[in-house]
Amino acid sequence: MYYKTRGYRVFSVLNTCFLIILAVMCIIPLVHVLAVSFSAKSAADANLVGLWPKQFSVEAYKKTIDNPVFLHSIWISVKRTVLGTALTLLITFLAAYPLSKENSAFKGRTIYSWLFVFTMVFNGGMIPFYIVIQKLGLMNSFWVLVLPGAVNTFLIILMLNFFRGVPKELEEAALIDGANHFRTLFSIYLPISLPSIATIALFSMVFHWNSWFDGLLYMNNSDKFPLATFLQTVIIQRDMSSMSINPKEMELISQTTVRAAQIFIGAAPILLVYPFLQKYFVKGMTLGSVKE
Amino acid sequence: MKTKKMLPLLGMSVLLASSIAGCSGNNNAAGGNNASGNAANTKAETENAYKDKYDPEVTITTVWGVDPELKFKNGETIENNVSTKWAKEKFGINIKSLWSITDTNGAFGTKLRLAMSSGQEMPDVVTIGTGDATIAQDLIDSGMYREVGTLFDQYASATWKEAMAQDPNVWNQYSRNGKKMGLPVLDYAYNHDYILWIRQDWLDKLNMKAPTTIDELEKVMDAFKNQNPDGLAPDKVIPLSIGFKTSMNTWMGDPSWIFGAYGTLPQQWNVAADGKLEYGSVNAGMKQGLEKLKDWLAKGYIPQEAALWDENKTSEPAVAGTAGIIPGPYWMSGWPLQDTVKNVPDAVWAPINIPAGPDGTVMRHGTQFTNGVTLISTKMKNPEAFFTYENYLYDNFANPQPGSELDNGLFAGYDYELDASGKMVANDQISGGYVNSVRYLLVRDGARIPDAQMKALLNLANGAQPTTRLEKDVAVNYGKGTPAAAKVLLQQEDKSFKNMFTGPTTETMKAKLDYLNKIENQTFNEIIYGKQPLDSFDSFVTTWNAGGGEQITKEVNEWYDSVK
Amino acid sequence: MRTLRKNWQFHVMLIPAMILLILFSFIPMGGIVMAFQDYKPWLHISGSEWVGLDNFRYLFEREDSMQVIWNTLIIAVLKMIFNLLVPFIFAIMLNEVRKLAVQRTIQTLVYLPHFLSWVILGGILLDLLSTDGFVNQILGSFGVQPIFFLGDNNWFRFTVILTDIWKEFGYNTIVFLAALAGINPSLYEAAEIDGANRWKQTRFITMPSLIPMVVVVGTLALGNVLNAGFDQIFNLYNPLVYQKGDIIDTFVYRTAIQNGEMGFGTAIGLFKSAISMVLILVSYQLAKKWAGYRIF
Repeated sequence: MYYKTRGYRVFSVLNTCFLIILAVMCIIPLVHVLAVSFSAKSAADANLVGLWPKQFSVEAYKKTIDNPVFLHSIWISVKRTVLGTALTLLITFLAAYPLSKENSAFKGRTIYSWLFVFTMVFNGGMIPFYIVIQKLGLMNSFWVLVLPGAVNTFLIILMLNFFRGVPKELEEAALIDGANHFRTLFSIYLPISLPSIATIALFSMVFHWNSWFDGLLYMNNSDKFPLATFLQTVIIQRDMSSMSINPKEMELISQTTVRAAQIFIGAAPILLVYPFLQKYFVKGMTLGSVKE
Repeated sequence: MKTKKMLPLLGMSVLLASSIAGCSGNNNAAGGNNASGNAANTKAETENAYKDKYDPEVTITTVWGVDPELKFKNGETIENNVSTKWAKEKFGINIKSLWSITDTNGAFGTKLRLAMSSGQEMPDVVTIGTGDATIAQDLIDSGMYREVGTLFDQYASATWKEAMAQDPNVWNQYSRNGKKMGLPVLDYAYNHDYILWIRQDWLDKLNMKAPTTIDELEKVMDAFKNQNPDGLAPDKVIPLSIGFKTSMNTWMGDPSWIFGAYGTLPQQWNVAADGKLEYGSVNAGMKQGLEKLKDWLAKGYIPQEAALWDENKTSEPAVAGTAGIIPGPYWMSGWPLQDTVKNVPDAVWAPINIPAGPDGTVMRHGTQFTNGVTLISTKMKNPEAFFTYENYLYDNFANPQPGSELDNGLFAGYDYELDASGKMVANDQISGGYVNSVRYLLVRDGARIPDAQMKALLNLANGAQPTTRLEKDVAVNYGKGTPAAAKVLLQQEDKSFKNMFTGPTTETMKAKLDYLNKIENQTFNEIIYGKQPLDSFDSFVTTWNAGGGEQITKEVNEWYDSVK
Repeated sequence: MRTLRKNWQFHVMLIPAMILLILFSFIPMGGIVMAFQDYKPWLHISGSEWVGLDNFRYLFEREDSMQVIWNTLIIAVLKMIFNLLVPFIFAIMLNEVRKLAVQRTIQTLVYLPHFLSWVILGGILLDLLSTDGFVNQILGSFGVQPIFFLGDNNWFRFTVILTDIWKEFGYNTIVFLAALAGINPSLYEAAEIDGANRWKQTRFITMPSLIPMVVVVGTLALGNVLNAGFDQIFNLYNPLVYQKGDIIDTFVYRTAIQNGEMGFGTAIGLFKSAISMVLILVSYQLAKKWAGYRIF
């Protein structure tokens, strides 16, 4: 076996070490944010915190947990992510199947594909979009967070390329057995596409979890904000020169440590999702089920 | 090929969308007609229309850009809260919100533009901050908002008129051909006029006096750096914490006074010797200022990465105790400098005057007395109702005498609370928490008289006990050192120079200003960093003038002549 | 009609997506006409003045136009290339880590930076990359003179591209990992029997299996060929590096967004979209012609 050779073992050790160093480099900023969130405000404002908390304090977390708007926004984000991802998955799954067919099998396939790509590249900008949202009565409605982003051309194209890897024999066998395309899609394609579905789901979840502009623009009150929108209102530095401000207010605004705590708590759920989805990336899974 | 097949669909979508836009356009045109009808009606009604309380109720529609930090309690919202109830009961004014948006990243301005674009109903009364100045100008140009000067003359109370008269220039920004199109929102004067904050404990240990000239300042900075009293290594000390990332003319960590010592203030319009307006950055004095900054950077007196530092970054070394001097507002002892002692227990910050140049010149930028505008719609049936509301606030809230109705604050249980014995409790002990309910009012901050706060501070600085609401407020909220700092600030009252151009963006500015600003920032920073010779300042001035600057100067002066 | 009867299921499957596309993409696309208008919000699209190509002219007639466009292209293209290459190589290297727990841990950690916004990272990088910061201290121990990463025109683009890759490569790797999961293990078994060493297996089995995905992701990335990353540059740039760091988006932000010049903003958007579309068309045709592969 190749991994028993000496050369490969040396390579393997070096390779692993290199990747571990890389991984460590990637978590430095997050560790810093975490350290700030557990530090005293005076140390954080002075930028004295490195990778370890200074003057350890859990004050920031207390304040974060005490903030009902923050907690509520997490709930809205969860709702949005779950519903939005489910809808995107369904639409992507349905749309990618016909598009993955050969031109000979599905005339008009190419027109559809280009329509999708066209919308990926061109857009009319904010104003007409806003008018449409308004005419559809989606203003201030939860669905404005879910519906407009549900069709994602990038994901559809990824999916259709995954579908092309599915052995033709499987489909043909199913069709001969009298199954229609819907049955084929859900009983043959679905079970063997778990790695790709996991990928699409992950991208969609991350998209929903991170989107903030729609919440800001279409929601009247902060009690309808998803988490990303809430965080955006907290992390953006405001132009103090154009507002009259007194020191008391400045102190409220510049809560470096609370901000860090919110960023960390805000990122935690989506970070936890990934390791969970990883088990679908197991090598050979697709083909494994084919053999059966 | 494929593109051909797509064309019909694209065409269709264009048609669809423009039909949507068309619809809304038509709606609005119809609304416009109504408006002129209403305006005529209003004229007839305005005879003695002004009342202290309206019965039947009148409605004022408005929209809100809500500050992200603004809190609510008791399940209230910006649409429905203690302040709207108060307006209803007190004045018979029903404040109806058309929409609201949390204002971050300029969201309020964006939403106003989108609301206009989509033909949504526009509010009767809207207050817009200086951050959204362009949208305010757009709204004025749209013709949807009316001339307000006559309304103000007719209805405003004496207190309000006096406050507005403190600086007649406040109207300039919102005037069109001599007509006053918006009510300036007054703010406290001097809020961002800066002074220098210096580490008094360092001075004392070095046996030095506070610098009064640029030369003395250099000696102090050198001592701070090379014989640091706290024993910090020279490369760990930032004698003067300033930054240029956003601008050379800002509110904290600001370098503009260094140019001021040589007779000019960059990035604003100053009155030149001939009485005309001149763009400060092309004044010859800039060159000397740049030379100083270049020298200071080389000697390590200012942060090595000053070009990358914004305002908040400049405060970091000050709070950490590694900076010796930081320019900033008089209220900085309340924030952020109060935290320095937590990091360096011996630290003492003292406010000092801006040092003078070789010929004794001192200049610093001055804060406008206004921080926004209130517009009144042409469609509004009862514009006088807004004055009923605002007059009351000016007469009873802006600077009330002890014993008057709003003497303690606006709403009990919100922005203040009295205990059983009638004494005011500290903000953090208000049951259910303090909320800044002043921000629920139609005009941001309710009503402010520009010089009132400074007067209150001076009274405190001179040893008076706080008696009026303003005095109590500054005593509690502005930090212990603030009255003394305010006094220092006013010692150089006549050295504050405001940006004299406050008009709408001129035609040439629209086309050229961004590029001119870009080469200006680039040239100045590169000179300071030694990447361009000092003399490239002269070629910058030539380029600036030729590239549209001369034309802009002409337009600016035309505007200035029209409002002078 | 016959084909419709045969393919009706395909059309039905596409209905939900098409409805949403029409509502939220095609109808709003009518707004593109604003690119040819001096758009005033209160006049709406129907009433605003038509100005022909004036909005486009402004983009090209500024003294620094070419510089800004060039900056955009070079930053965007290099980011595109390396954001494909690095995840591709990383995925293959990660594939060689045989301990599953280690592999998954590394995978999770490198994916973290994607979730920090540039506002936050900007502040952190300012410290990490400052002349006496962490990175320069490490370089200094190898005798390297301090480098002014964020304030030197010679280094700024490099810094921007490198930090972007560092932030995104873990996230971009996911799609390749999913593709790796689809490789038939029996291919490796056969190669093993043939006596191919691991490098040969990687070279002749792993890499070719990933290439279609590289082409697909690369082509779709062309849609962003003139997006050099507004959030990142906006948070990192400063007057010292305008020359090499000012891009179309920051320029549009300063001139159009801040001043509410919607017509100009739309024009720039249209210009960028048109270039992207052309590039996508070209690479689609190339892939079809040379590899016989339809990307979508």
